[in-house]
Amino acid sequence: MYKVTFKFENSEDVTVFAAFGESLLEVARKTNVAIDAPCSGNASCGKCRVKLVEGELDSKQTRHISDEEYAQGWRLACCSKINADVAVMVPDIASAYRSRMKVADLSSPDELKIFDNIKQSITEAGIELKNNLESIHVKMDVPTLDDTMPDNERLTRAIREITGMQRVKLPYSVIHKMAQVLREHNFDVNVVIRKTEKDIFVYDICGADEAPVIAGLAIDIGTTTVSAIIIDMTDGKILAKGSSGNGQIRYGADVINRIIESRKPGGQDKLQKAIIEETINPLVQTMCRQAKISPMNIYRMSVAANTTMNHLLIGVNADPVRMEPYIPTFFKTNSIFAGDIGIKVNPDAHIILAPNIGSYVGGDITAGAFVTMLWNQEPFSLFIDLGTNGEIVFGNSDFMFSCACSAGPAFEGGDISCGMRATDGAIEACTIDAETMEPKLTIVGNEGTKPVGICGSGIIDIISELFRCKIINPKGKFVREGRRVKRDADGMGSYVLAFEGEEAGSSKDVEITEVDIDSFIRAKGAIFSAIRTMLSYCDFDISMIENVYVAGGIGSGINMANAINIGMFPDIPVEMYHYVGNTSLAGAYAMLCSTESERKVYELAANMTYIELSTIPQYMDEFVGACFLPHTDASLFPNR
Amino acid sequence: MPFTAKSGKFNASINAVEFGTGDKAVKIGGENVFPLYSFDAAIENAPKVGIEITDFGMEHEPECIKKYYEGCATLADMARKAASMEGVDFLSFRMEGGDPNGANKSTEELIGELKEIADAVDLPLVVCGCKNVEKDAELFSKAAEALNGKNAVILSAKEENYKTVGAAAGLAYKQVVGAESAVDINLAKQLNVLISQLGVDSKSVVMNVGTAAVGYGFEYVISTMDRVKAAALQQGDANLQMPIITPVASEAWGVKEAMASETDAPEWGSQEERGIDMEVETAMAVIAAGSNAVILKHPESIKIISGLMKELV
Repeated sequence: MYKVTFKFENSEDVTVFAAFGESLLEVARKTNVAIDAPCSGNASCGKCRVKLVEGELDSKQTRHISDEEYAQGWRLACCSKINADVAVMVPDIASAYRSRMKVADLSSPDELKIFDNIKQSITEAGIELKNNLESIHVKMDVPTLDDTMPDNERLTRAIREITGMQRVKLPYSVIHKMAQVLREHNFDVNVVIRKTEKDIFVYDICGADEAPVIAGLAIDIGTTTVSAIIIDMTDGKILAKGSSGNGQIRYGADVINRIIESRKPGGQDKLQKAIIEETINPLVQTMCRQAKISPMNIYRMSVAANTTMNHLLIGVNADPVRMEPYIPTFFKTNSIFAGDIGIKVNPDAHIILAPNIGSYVGGDITAGAFVTMLWNQEPFSLFIDLGTNGEIVFGNSDFMFSCACSAGPAFEGGDISCGMRATDGAIEACTIDAETMEPKLTIVGNEGTKPVGICGSGIIDIISELFRCKIINPKGKFVREGRRVKRDADGMGSYVLAFEGEEAGSSKDVEITEVDIDSFIRAKGAIFSAIRTMLSYCDFDISMIENVYVAGGIGSGINMANAINIGMFPDIPVEMYHYVGNTSLAGAYAMLCSTESERKVYELAANMTYIELSTIPQYMDEFVGACFLPHTDASLFPNR
Repeated sequence: MPFTAKSGKFNASINAVEFGTGDKAVKIGGENVFPLYSFDAAIENAPKVGIEITDFGMEHEPECIKKYYEGCATLADMARKAASMEGVDFLSFRMEGGDPNGANKSTEELIGELKEIADAVDLPLVVCGCKNVEKDAELFSKAAEALNGKNAVILSAKEENYKTVGAAAGLAYKQVVGAESAVDINLAKQLNVLISQLGVDSKSVVMNVGTAAVGYGFEYVISTMDRVKAAALQQGDANLQMPIITPVASEAWGVKEAMASETDAPEWGSQEERGIDMEVETAMAVIAAGSNAVILKHPESIKIISGLMKELV
């Protein structure tokens, strides 16, 4: 056995023992050291870099590491085997995997306004903005030697009298504390109840002098990013908001790699732990502190997530999702409670899971489709959710079709060498001078902020401009040379947006490489070909689309005209495009605050037809055709 | 009522591309009907047949081919002999030995051999590479220069090296540029777009859309060619109207049906017959699907296919 020490910039060393020949990445995972490995250790992504500081490693140099970097000690953890005592420096994960994601951080008023707009459009659609949680005041007679009814019967009877309902359920958590609460407050209390047509469920009990906070939690669990809000269930007001990277990301960047990881021994628990204990619980803690409430005041939660994510969340076998004939354990389920899966809120809190409609179209889409209101309109609309999986819904008030395609993490800045979230230092927009090839950048942050990376909307602009200026050819390869076009030893080209030292805020050039462009072209190709395939499958044409709702973490800065220029979206007037933000979270919010909305989402899910693109032979053809700028069939982009 | 057949000719047509010089020059393409549909409209140029020799001379050839070249001492001799075979329209020279993972012959040596051959025959020439994209880029640049004025076909530029090959062959030395893609209509079209954006006149581009021997994933080949022709003619897609040249010999003579010796597979009968059958069947199928020229190597196959073309067109 050899001693392996992981060193960190901001925390204490972790030391473990490992056998000869063990992979460093595996050792790290076993020890719960987070090393970013979106490709799950195939040596293909080059993200799992560590720096050798002492001892030695049996390590291959791959194309991801230059000679200079190798000499400095940089190694890929997945290509390194233990052959001696060793100490490695692990780059700060906050700057490695968390920061390269575009987290919808809800910091701008625009993003928050979306929630107000939803409330308005729900009301306009004739749906009641009301849920069945409420608090009621119950005053009972104090027991005496003559009045010997036990506490639970006393409370039950009192509630029956007030509500007129026969069946009243008291869970363990209430029975556990009621003796004390009742006596402390002289049998004058407020109770938090859920009222349905059949029964009353009592969530909590407190003194009549305390106004109970009835809070709810809405979460969007994305493959890459998790975002959440805590709301006041009585009026839908947002009490706190937060987001973070999905802790499962170190087990693979996409759903397929996660499922494979979950089938290894202990994998299912490991992945569930990563999302609940490492991601959701800390997030809830932070948000509760922000809102100044106890997590126990969260009596209901709603989750919108893709099929794989909600399977892994509740800890069920997700393998059938990826295996033909692709049948998941559930589309919808009503029987999960927070206490069942260890989410640290009120253990009796019911978890509303937005329903899935297929293995690759999940609750994030049904919830999202609800808030776009396309189901309530005559004109045909297209709803596109740009995530790691791209999902598309097409339809109107009469019918809806949906499909999913695998776009990869490129839209969220993953898979892109200088990709990052839309935070300070991110290039969010760009124009390039066709003559001089010099860029003009818009950077997120205060005036004078130097660029350190590129976020999703920036990538679209850069590729569109490089193509317009004929710096890259329609295949995304560099065809012009100049000061800003670099070539590496293998001849791979890149365009430098900001040179290290003089322009960039980071210690290396901010650039976009042919590999980045290629990843992005494949992502946009997947989206466009899915749109085309689905429309032609329904015998529709792009000219029939009147509204396009674009959702996802790509950011509100997205330039629709440039997205059309590169052939990501169909060539229809820019005015028809609307950026609608994180519809998955918005949908979860709607289902949480309005019981009728929840029902409506179930109804939509039942009425949505799922198309499995992999069964349509035309799709692969469309995909290859779409992996070109703007498209192999230029007649599809007459205005570009 | 008498039956009046409706003509299936299109408004669009396949580009007519000429290669070679003088009275031996050949022209392929030019038709405005589906392959061999001469009943719909006259087919201007019947599909052409080329003969292939490689820089290895007779070294790697099966016995049944060697016997036709008996007495040839040099590549030039072989070329002259090949040019004299019945039904041969053009000569194809494959620089197989250039492969860095194979014989790794130098560019100078191969170009020297190419020049010898070019001096020996007056037939139009097609130059094929070694399948290594980097080496091919180098070989083809030099070949285009060496064959200046010969109007030869450089087969072929691929996505990875089209810039070098296209610039040398198409722009600098005005040869005909072959565009090779891997059995996919979109990839074929994409490469044609890239080559024309480079400034190469699309009227001096031919395609090799990829092939296989019959029975080896061949349905993909056929459906790709079918759809390329349909897009070119029915939809008038100018980026797919280039004629197609298909090198058949290198595929057909590389599969076990053609290579297995009679001792190893006695139940399969004569090896020579099997080889010819594979070659003829593959060639005829790709012609019926839209190839405007094929490259073969057994003199008997060439005789059969060129005979068929005389009958059919």
